[in-house]
Amino acid sequence: MKAEQVLASFKKRFKLKEARIDNVMHRANRKSAVPRIWIEIGREEFKEAVGHLCELHPMPHFAVASGYQIGEIIELIYHFSLNYGKPQGEICIGIKTKLEKGNASIPTITGLVPGALISEREIQEMLGVKVEGIPDSRRLFLPKNFPKKVYPWRRDETGPNKIVRNMHKGEKK
Amino acid sequence: MNLKALNKSLWAFHFNSGSCNGCDIEIIAALTPRYDVERFGIKLVGTPRHADILLLTGPVAMDMKEKLERVYAQMPSPKAVMLIGNCGNSGDVFYESYSLVGPADRIIPVDVYVPGCPPRPEAIIHGVVKVWQKLEKEAKK
Amino acid sequence: MSEGKTFKIAVGPVHPALKEPVQLNCEIEGEQVKHVDIELSQVHRSIEWIGTRRNPVQVVFLAEKICGICNICHTLCFCEAVESIAGIEVPARAHYIRTIAAELERIHSHILWAGVAAHELGFDSVMHYTWKLREKVLDTTEYLTGNRIGKAIVTIGGTKRDIEEKQFGKIREACNYYRQNFSRLRDIFLKDPIIKARARDIGILRRDDALSLCAVGPTARASGVKKDVRQDEAYAAYPDLDVKAITPKELLGEIRGDVYDRIAVRLLEVLQSVELIEKCLKQMPEGKIAYESKLAKVLSDVKQLKGEAIGRHEAPRGEVFHYLKMVGEETPYSWKVRAPTYNNILSWIPMLKGAQIADIPIVAASIDPCMSCTNRAAIADGKELGNEKLHRLSVEKTRSLKKGPGSERGNCN
Repeated sequence: MKAEQVLASFKKRFKLKEARIDNVMHRANRKSAVPRIWIEIGREEFKEAVGHLCELHPMPHFAVASGYQIGEIIELIYHFSLNYGKPQGEICIGIKTKLEKGNASIPTITGLVPGALISEREIQEMLGVKVEGIPDSRRLFLPKNFPKKVYPWRRDETGPNKIVRNMHKGEKK
Repeated sequence: MNLKALNKSLWAFHFNSGSCNGCDIEIIAALTPRYDVERFGIKLVGTPRHADILLLTGPVAMDMKEKLERVYAQMPSPKAVMLIGNCGNSGDVFYESYSLVGPADRIIPVDVYVPGCPPRPEAIIHGVVKVWQKLEKEAKK
Repeated sequence: MSEGKTFKIAVGPVHPALKEPVQLNCEIEGEQVKHVDIELSQVHRSIEWIGTRRNPVQVVFLAEKICGICNICHTLCFCEAVESIAGIEVPARAHYIRTIAAELERIHSHILWAGVAAHELGFDSVMHYTWKLREKVLDTTEYLTGNRIGKAIVTIGGTKRDIEEKQFGKIREACNYYRQNFSRLRDIFLKDPIIKARARDIGILRRDDALSLCAVGPTARASGVKKDVRQDEAYAAYPDLDVKAITPKELLGEIRGDVYDRIAVRLLEVLQSVELIEKCLKQMPEGKIAYESKLAKVLSDVKQLKGEAIGRHEAPRGEVFHYLKMVGEETPYSWKVRAPTYNNILSWIPMLKGAQIADIPIVAASIDPCMSCTNRAAIADGKELGNEKLHRLSVEKTRSLKKGPGSERGNCN
């Protein structure tokens, strides 16, 4: 399956807010480019979209979920790859979804991709996004005595700026 | 300080407080055949209770602070601490962070600093010699 | 001990690289591991956040310090992402130099791991032997880059140093050295009956578990998942080199997904890397080593980028993945770093279930969690057990196996 076909199958089934293929050329021989698919989908359809990926490929490889906050919006990107194991045939796809900052929540996809648990725990503690139905909601990367309601990936008042220490300056008392 | 306990080779305990692994593999490299400090009887031990020197690497992450203090307390006196690598000394590229509590000498007393990112095994061995000289000097007092 | 009563043993913490510091809380019934819980918070350094406060040229140096062992991988991924956003065309020669540096790093990392694995099994003489072998690749790296560990050769738009024709001799010499020593290494690890007894059918990760837990690198390949970014995506010079993902089938004829298979995959990959380096030297094109040699010009090109991109690279431990978003500011808006162990740690759970306590060190080490084997403290039932004791358990198990089949397995006292 080609990248264009993957994108077309998504376009057919979902209402995509953004859909593009970046052709990246980072090869010595410059014969062919590597396609990267980026799509944006509404929060309600997000889980269905991951389900759609699982229909395209029996077990899509989940790389990681990244995210950031811009203004009142939190944007999550789930990075998957299909067709791994086929020489020069792997397709990377980033599924984006936008959430409102005040009430950010996203359904868990661990039912479809069990390996997503670590990423879901991470976005929960790093961005303050509630993952609905997550099998294990404890903290993962942040230290145990890390203050609550501080989310390191955010850039607003809940971001980590107030607890930052500069080692070159004296001890904060 | 009673330094009679140190009239044999120094035994070291390695504590990684959040380093990138670079210093840690150079410490092991100092022990293995090319540099081979074990021929002097210097070796890594598995518990701080058997150790004379603490080889400390890393900029000390928040969660490791308490563990570092505990490990230091468990070491029998007389003891010395060797801080290996730039990030424990000054923070290096991690100087500004929300989850690091270094530099390490604010948490436990440090005797010898070995800068470098990572320091070569020769520098680490040189640091051990410095520890030795320092302890000898103190013993004479 | 009464039936069904479990004890908790904490193995860890202290694990160095970005997200790999780990504490394994194992629930033990008698000698068997019943359940494993993983804690990762120990050494969080907030590198991603620091990265959003520096400009891309400065982040290259930060990316080097994510992991001391695989520092090419992270800089390569980050540079790839920046180059994709900026549309920078990297010269072909730079791609070849990057590939050679990455493959030297793989040899270094896999041999280092073999030593750690031998140490966990109680074969310290083998550990010293493998670390002696490893010095050759460090010498070569130092000869090419000026450093033993922090290579600092990859930069945005190319590489910082060239590999010249007159330097090829020393690289070929190192390749020959590993070729000659490979059969000895293979015999030590794969023919020794004790290592076989300690590694065969221990810590099994089935293929479907590897797929559903999204395992990467040698951990996945040893379970029969033919996944390798060098083959699947073929970036840098790899499309010219015809890389094939290695599974234990090539050497052993079957795939069981145990510790033994993971040893076999890594050993074969050392040989594969040697071949790739030799091919690179043969095919290396002439040309520039960077699209722009002046750093100030590079900085002005990457300062006000807009866009997002990912960078991927097959590190010795598996796929490294970086996501970068720039919004026209000097610094990245978002930077996500995913090290291979991030994906592999969940596979510890099926591997360790049902294992014996004495097998925990080797099973944990078998995914190569960037582990600087030294510092571990285990606390059992409130009483403190040193790493010494856990390691001794492992060594004793090896010794009891040496005595013969009649002796007790996993002697625990």
